[in-house]
Amino acid sequence: MGLLDSEAGRRRLLTVELPVIEQYNKDRDPEYRIVVQKVGTSLVLKYRLKPAHNVYQVETRLLSSYPTVPPETRVITALLHCPHLLEGQMLCLWRQGSSRITSRWDPSRFTCIFAVQAAWRWLACYEVWHSTGEWPLPEAK
Amino acid sequence: MAHLVQVGVGSGGIAVLDALARDERITRVTLIEPDIYKPHNVYRHLFSPADVGQPKAELARRWLEQLRPALTVEVLQVDLCDPAVQAPIEAAFAQASVGVCAADNELAKFHFDSLARKYGLSWTLGEVLSGGIGGWVHCFRPAGACYGCVASYLQRTMPTDENQPTPDYSAPGGPVYETTIPASRASIAAIASLHALSTLMLLDAAADPGFTSLLFTLARVPGMFEEPFRVHRFRIPRNLDCLICKDHHANRLVDAEKLDVALDEALGRLGDA
Repeated sequence: MGLLDSEAGRRRLLTVELPVIEQYNKDRDPEYRIVVQKVGTSLVLKYRLKPAHNVYQVETRLLSSYPTVPPETRVITALLHCPHLLEGQMLCLWRQGSSRITSRWDPSRFTCIFAVQAAWRWLACYEVWHSTGEWPLPEAK
Repeated sequence: MAHLVQVGVGSGGIAVLDALARDERITRVTLIEPDIYKPHNVYRHLFSPADVGQPKAELARRWLEQLRPALTVEVLQVDLCDPAVQAPIEAAFAQASVGVCAADNELAKFHFDSLARKYGLSWTLGEVLSGGIGGWVHCFRPAGACYGCVASYLQRTMPTDENQPTPDYSAPGGPVYETTIPASRASIAAIASLHALSTLMLLDAAADPGFTSLLFTLARVPGMFEEPFRVHRFRIPRNLDCLICKDHHANRLVDAEKLDVALDEALGRLGDA
């Protein structure tokens, strides 16, 4: 059952996800607001993040199986090959069964904005790694 | 006079169904199962090797008709999550007295939960652990914890990579993806019996099984289960902030047409068009 083609999915979007996106956008500089597009049966959130020195163009995709399946986030801006970066510049943000609560996707507690915040945290780590060669957060276990 | 709606009649589901259908209180059964009976199912299933190639749902119907000819059995040979077949599935949930989920994937469990909450249905879920080392039985009441509350409490997550690569045998210390080992028929039957008993208990609206989730160990597994045949009961409260179920409980439902209009408006505000 899909996010856009089931009543439960549409209700989740209307009552949970879209209000938090509007809250995120409120009073935010227009170039850093989230823009939402329908792509097939998915929703794509397009936005910019500036965790430190650089601005990154990022996309978070809410698949048809969202929120059961975690959102996928990829950085559009070219990155150096680094830890925790998957094929297609997809960020490795969630780990099944992780004992660290922020690394374990929980559809009953997290919204898509949590994924945006996770991407911000990942990019902040990337900038530290770029300067020092060390990823500043421990591995998710 | 109870109507059972059951999703899944695999090796675990058929064992639960066989136990439930022998109870005279169950008078009508709706089965939802899209799969075909395959050669590798034979070892753990009630059906004959000669039945290979036939739909599991039809085989289950025949099994029930032989067992209790007076039982009314309806079959939906469809995927529970297929958007195109939701009308007959919802009709079954709307009329059912109790539900059994014997599906083995998280999407189906969440969708079953959504339908059960929509129609105020009590339901149960059974899961045999890989290797048959134990299993879970979960009981859900309409006003209680939803599957999202339970999954969060038990720290469950969906696999995040469905296309798992082949292990890198040149790096023995590297990442190893979880594999599943088929459970024995005996392990499946043990958990299925607990699942069936819990389901029958839910037929009485006032009955309290004493747990939301029950873990029953069937083997000693160092570092995981200290001994076999130990019961762990969890009473899991409904999380008032659960993003899966709070909308239903708060009764903030918008009717379907208004929902579509409101959603289109919200997407329009957030789009770049």
